[in-house]
Amino acid sequence: MGTQESTTAGRTLRARAAGLTDQPLTLLTVAGFWTWLVVRWTNDFLLDGALIDRNTSFFPTAPFEAAASTLGGLAASLGPVGFPVGWVAGFFEFLAASIPYLPQLATGVWATILLTVLGIALGFVIAVPLSVARVYGGTLTRSVALGYTELFRGTPLLAQLFVLYFATPLTTIIRELPAVGTGFIPAQAFWVAVIAFMLNSAAYQSEYIRSALNSVPEGQLTAARAIGLSKVDGIRHVVLPQGLRYAIPGWSNELVYLIKYSSLASFITVRELFERTDAIASETYRYTELFVLAGLLYLALVLSASLLMEYVEDRVAIPGLGTTSR
Amino acid sequence: MSDPLLALDDVYKSYGEEQVLSGVSFEMDAGDVDVVIGPSGSGKSTMLRCVNRLTEIDSGDIYLDGDCVTDADTDVNELRKQVGMVFQDFNLFAHLTALGNVTLGLRKVRGMDKATAQEQGYEHLEQVGLSDQADSYPAELSGGQKQRVGIARALAMDPKLLLFDEPTSALDPELVGEVVDVMRDLAAEGITMLVVSHEMGFARSAASDIIFLDDGRIVEHGPPEQLFQNPQAARTGEFLSRLETAHEEE
Ligand SMILES: Nc1ncnc2c1ncn2[C@@H]1O[C@H](COP(=O)(O)OP(=O)(O)OP(=O)(O)O)[C@@H](O)[C@H]1O
Ligand SMILES: [Mg+2]
Repeated sequence: MGTQESTTAGRTLRARAAGLTDQPLTLLTVAGFWTWLVVRWTNDFLLDGALIDRNTSFFPTAPFEAAASTLGGLAASLGPVGFPVGWVAGFFEFLAASIPYLPQLATGVWATILLTVLGIALGFVIAVPLSVARVYGGTLTRSVALGYTELFRGTPLLAQLFVLYFATPLTTIIRELPAVGTGFIPAQAFWVAVIAFMLNSAAYQSEYIRSALNSVPEGQLTAARAIGLSKVDGIRHVVLPQGLRYAIPGWSNELVYLIKYSSLASFITVRELFERTDAIASETYRYTELFVLAGLLYLALVLSASLLMEYVEDRVAIPGLGTTSR
Repeated sequence: MSDPLLALDDVYKSYGEEQVLSGVSFEMDAGDVDVVIGPSGSGKSTMLRCVNRLTEIDSGDIYLDGDCVTDADTDVNELRKQVGMVFQDFNLFAHLTALGNVTLGLRKVRGMDKATAQEQGYEHLEQVGLSDQADSYPAELSGGQKQRVGIARALAMDPKLLLFDEPTSALDPELVGEVVDVMRDLAAEGITMLVVSHEMGFARSAASDIIFLDDGRIVEHGPPEQLFQNPQAARTGEFLSRLETAHEEE
């Protein structure tokens, strides 16, 4: 028995290691990105700027400016064939120009992550019963679940945000709650956005989970019922543990989408990454630098999410259950 | 006279227009091993599924140990604790190890704590000769091993009656033996079994009675010697000789 256990563990470890060493560059990027974020947030939020002033970047701009001007001079002296050197100079110019804005964007990244994580996690809590209702429910529960899904998948997310923010008393109610908008706790618009993403994402997630539940063979529930489990317990202990594993790839897609769609929250004044970028850009007129930078930050978030989901998939993999044969 | 362990009394079942069971009645005593044979579509699986109410009957009564289990107010989950089922295509819980398969019912139905359930689970895996595969997942087991885990899973609930629906017909011929051996052991231990199977070796050696079902009716019901040597109905003889030819062709 001992050996059996260790081979199972060994296999999972190997799979995990393979998944990570496959893409050392991604791993390195993500590790660097998160080190920077965590140090930045700790300094800004917890240490009250003890390491470095809140608005000052950890990275100096001078070396990049120097490199840019040297290379720029070189490119000019090379004449018409100097253009590749000119591009490199341009890249350093971009770095020098955008580095000062990194601290403010890091704050936006915090809001974006919080928004996405809360939206997807709360949405998941709704999506599971929703998808179970779709697959195993009676006529009524099934049509209610279907109606919900169609409504939230069939209308624009932006419209849902606006309706919740402007047309419902939600904003006022949340504003009156204690502590909202003070210290670490974001203001009401953020929470309205969380609710919108939760409701919207639940609809999409339930579609992924529904089709995953459908791919669990019928005999599994029959066998569960045959040993005396109720239908609900059979779904809980037998169908869901398998179905949720099948759902991981689709569910990862939804996470990646939500990271990017969270930028829509800027339309209801949530100070997330996109809103921060736009605000600084319209003050400084450095639109190109700032939006390229924001794009890179979103990319780093998406890479982190993919890596995380790959890890989770390996972690929960079971021999012979769909996702292992990657 | 004590009650029979299982009694079917004039059971009818139809799917839409199609009459699948037409007045099935028989009884078996505790410790009996009855083997059900019959052509494809004759209603064998349906009959088994009616006993643990995976399928609801249209009319008639089914009694388990004296209790009418087809009453509307019978708790089906209670009933199923007492009636184990072994499936043709195993239906092992794919996300659980062999031990996990055997202990799920103990923990979630019987409410046992994990340690006790595992201890008992090992014993049942031992009973089917698979204690060394306790930590293997279904995908890592051979067909014969899967079916033995399926049997251990049913046994773990300590049922009064075990139902087998063609337990060996999805197996490669060379794997049939290990499953039949386990079933023979159970029969010898006095476990009451209702077995749909065309494994005639098992029927001959282990069956108390053989039930020949055709077109939703019991055509013949009697001890193996009688059915094999001296079938009362012409159809029984025909069916048995066809089985024999099919076997020789294999
Ligand atoms: N859930 C169902 N819905 C509709 N018809 C069904 C259902 N289950 C079984 N039947 C029909 O009932 C009849 C008897 O089926 P059953 O599975 O009991 O036969 P069987 O004797 O077990 O056959 P086999 O040897 O092929 O397993 C068949 O004609 C089948 O099509
Ligand atoms: Mg059948």
